[in-house]
Amino acid sequence: MEFKDYYQVLGVEKTATTEEIKKAYRKLARQYHPDVSKESEAEQRMQEINEAKAVLTDPEKRLAYDQLGERYRSGQDFQPPPDWDAGFEFSGGGFEEADLGEFSDFFANLFGRGGRAGRGSRGYQMRGEDRHAKIVIDLEDAYHGATRAITLQVPRVDAQGRVLSREHTLNVRIPKGVKAGQHIRLAGQGGLGMGGGPAGDLFLEIHFTPDPRYRVEGRDVHQRVPVTPWEAALGASIETPTPLGVVKVKVPAGSQSGRQLRLKGRGIPGPEPGDLYVELEVVLPPADTDRARELYETMARELAFDPRRRRGG
Amino acid sequence: MAQRRIASGELIDEATLTLEELARACSVEVEWVVERIESGLLADGSPYVTSWRFTSRDLTRARRLCQLERDFEAAPELAALAADLIEENQRLKERLRVAGLSDD
Repeated sequence: MEFKDYYQVLGVEKTATTEEIKKAYRKLARQYHPDVSKESEAEQRMQEINEAKAVLTDPEKRLAYDQLGERYRSGQDFQPPPDWDAGFEFSGGGFEEADLGEFSDFFANLFGRGGRAGRGSRGYQMRGEDRHAKIVIDLEDAYHGATRAITLQVPRVDAQGRVLSREHTLNVRIPKGVKAGQHIRLAGQGGLGMGGGPAGDLFLEIHFTPDPRYRVEGRDVHQRVPVTPWEAALGASIETPTPLGVVKVKVPAGSQSGRQLRLKGRGIPGPEPGDLYVELEVVLPPADTDRARELYETMARELAFDPRRRRGG
Repeated sequence: MAQRRIASGELIDEATLTLEELARACSVEVEWVVERIESGLLADGSPYVTSWRFTSRDLTRARRLCQLERDFEAAPELAALAADLIEENQRLKERLRVAGLSDD
């Protein structure tokens, strides 16, 4: 385990006041907030920042950390010395139990159940905290159902009462008919309970792999399909790939770009299955050969067509 | 260590969350949830609210509010305003992406 320099994480001096620390925290929280940040490791950075703030804005924790920190540099191999926290009583059990899953081993070792405060809670029973993770699937998986393996960091308390982290791979069945933003709850797969309390639940939030072909709204799926001018004008039966596989679509005569055709019940399945909307996009053939130019010139001569006049422009 | 067993879960929305389950999933007190519902910041317009049942959308919204309030020491109304803007932004970005106008 590496020693974490919380002052470095927040970019503040060791002499910074609580207000200065909070200010630095808010600035970084704005930069790395997962909802808005474009940084690739925003969630991980946000976790570090939250952890640093949790320690440095709590006077008791900060004092204990400062005494320990005098002997360590950032990244240095670290094991908390026995009774390092003697003389400190971290109020409220040291930290919110629910935070454990979101903080590092380093934090959990200092202020967590491995710490003095945690050991004092013998005989106390508590349910494990609920955990959250995101899972990314293809749209096709929502149509057919799938199985995905996810790897989670799971804290575990060893015989000495230390909190260790281990990787836990879980094969999860993704039921047919899931929507983006929907959660799957896996009972008992969350954080461990204390004193024989039950484990928490794991919530998996479904996300779809971005696919330029599709736009999904609830269970309705929209896709654009290119068609030729003659297919649109004369009507045609065309084949197009969809999340369900290749389907035949009847293009009505006289269609224009933007026309939507609804394939009822061909969206994401479910108790109320969605619809698949096919939006036609008329694509003009390029006039890049003599013959193509000739055909366009014939149309220009023989078709009395002025789209601007029709619009009244 | 890999597990061969395949875990099957409950799909939230088909099975909705109770008030206590929603609070626990967000690591907040039940009162925190009740206050925000009564102020119209959470689960607004959800048909489940009258029966105190909550959907995936409510869970996502509640977690977002909770994080914004905590991270910025924000007033609940300010967190809700930021959440509204984030959600609107996400919807518009999705439309841009499909229209092929996204930078991402």
